[in-house]
Amino acid sequence: MTRYLRLIRIFTGATLSAQLEYRANFLGAVLASVGEAGVALLGIAVLFGQPELDTVGGWTFHEALLVTGLFMLTEGVISVFIQPNMSKIAEAVRTGSMDFTLLKPIDAQFGVSTRHLNVLRVTDLLIGAGLIGYAASHLTVTPGGLAGAALLYLSAVVIVYCIWLALSTTAFWFVKTQNASELFNGVFGAARFPVTAFPVPVRALLTFVVPVAFITTVPAQAMTGTLTPALALASPLVAAALFVLTRLFWLRAVASYTSASS
Amino acid sequence: MTATWKKLRTLFAAQFAEMVEYRAEVVIWMLSGTLSLVMMLVWMAQAAAAPGGEINGYTPSEFASYFLGTWTVSQLMVVWVAWELDLDIRQGTLSPKLLRPLDPLWTWYTGHLAERVVRFPLMLVLVAVFAWLAGARFTTDPLAYLAALGLAFLGFSARFLWEYCVGLLAFWTESSTSFQEVVWLFYAALGGMFAPLAFYPQWVQNVAVWTPFPYMLGLPAQLLAGKASLADAGRGAAVLAAWLVIFWFLRLLVWRVGLRKYGAVGA
Repeated sequence: MTRYLRLIRIFTGATLSAQLEYRANFLGAVLASVGEAGVALLGIAVLFGQPELDTVGGWTFHEALLVTGLFMLTEGVISVFIQPNMSKIAEAVRTGSMDFTLLKPIDAQFGVSTRHLNVLRVTDLLIGAGLIGYAASHLTVTPGGLAGAALLYLSAVVIVYCIWLALSTTAFWFVKTQNASELFNGVFGAARFPVTAFPVPVRALLTFVVPVAFITTVPAQAMTGTLTPALALASPLVAAALFVLTRLFWLRAVASYTSASS
Repeated sequence: MTATWKKLRTLFAAQFAEMVEYRAEVVIWMLSGTLSLVMMLVWMAQAAAAPGGEINGYTPSEFASYFLGTWTVSQLMVVWVAWELDLDIRQGTLSPKLLRPLDPLWTWYTGHLAERVVRFPLMLVLVAVFAWLAGARFTTDPLAYLAALGLAFLGFSARFLWEYCVGLLAFWTESSTSFQEVVWLFYAALGGMFAPLAFYPQWVQNVAVWTPFPYMLGLPAQLLAGKASLADAGRGAAVLAAWLVIFWFLRLLVWRVGLRKYGAVGA
């Protein structure tokens, strides 16, 4: 375990020094973050701008803002930690450099999941955290609610990681996987609103088929103290089940890997 | 004139052949542009839950018509030329393209048009399915469809030119493509992807009418939904045409200055 923690530290140091060489890219990353935050905020701003609407799907403005903050935070988690690693799996399979990862005396899934970081998009994390803090300051949040939200957000991150890993693992059979992640981004876009803001059939889809509801709505509900015990239990269960399934899928993919030349 | 026309036709044929190979990807690209659809579902649910069954005069089915309209039009408005320019300029692969007897702009422009031809039938199938599921109703006036298509074509050309300018920024900065995100935000917001323009605060509407955005996205969608007249379409076309001229000269300017810089680094 300590070996893996030390490896994470080494990996982080290496990517940090590689990325900070290109300082001009920082401006670009900030612009992109501002753009994404703008899209997320405009969506709810126009909704709540209507005099007829003081709640959307039963959520007040600040409660909905909490969901938007969690959405931005998750975009940050994806672009800082998940996407930089996952997008390289397909390339490694195609060029055969996956051989080196598999030969190393560490778990290969750990290796492909922690090697890279995109530090520049830390702005997304900051914007997300700032929005959550701002929204929470207008709501009554208990310490218990906060702890519950943190725990449920952890399962949310596991869910997002598992979906991305599963999609990227298909690279062992298909050459290209960017398209699959594009599709995920499309569906994930629905997470910028509380799931109750959608029509009922779509709500079920976003909870049970593509578990988008668990990523932003459920942690926000925990924070405002409106979470039902059933959903509170379901989220870690879904995360655990997905983790086991993607782990098995990954092992199967690695077993069928025959390097680039064959 | 005939020589140029022949060049363009050959370019188009080649680009079309290339795009047909990507038909599976085209479907995925179409499905990943979901912002209109997400906004449609949210507005429909709010209108259904509202006391009068409508918000700002829009019933759920009218929201469905409007947002499916913006989704359809935005499909015709997809432009990726900034990415290609960014790559070509940074990798130096722009140089061989400069040797051809035609401005490289036309290669990309015909490429985008060819992709539209591949996209169009697939798009119609998806729109039909979505419209049936969401209960959207479109106008029966054939002239409205023609006008919407014309506006979409003008809008696409304007968007192509401004994205071209953004892509050309790669002559000076490494992060030109992130400027796209910010420009896209204005396009989506003022174009009416989040809500019909009438839902915005009055001062935003006053600013928006001077920009090309409402006429390339919201207006064609309103035409398809039967909520805008042909006179509106004519006014929109005039504004878009004026912006096209502006973007055209802007592109020429950036291109000339940029090429000088590109040559100076020794390409």
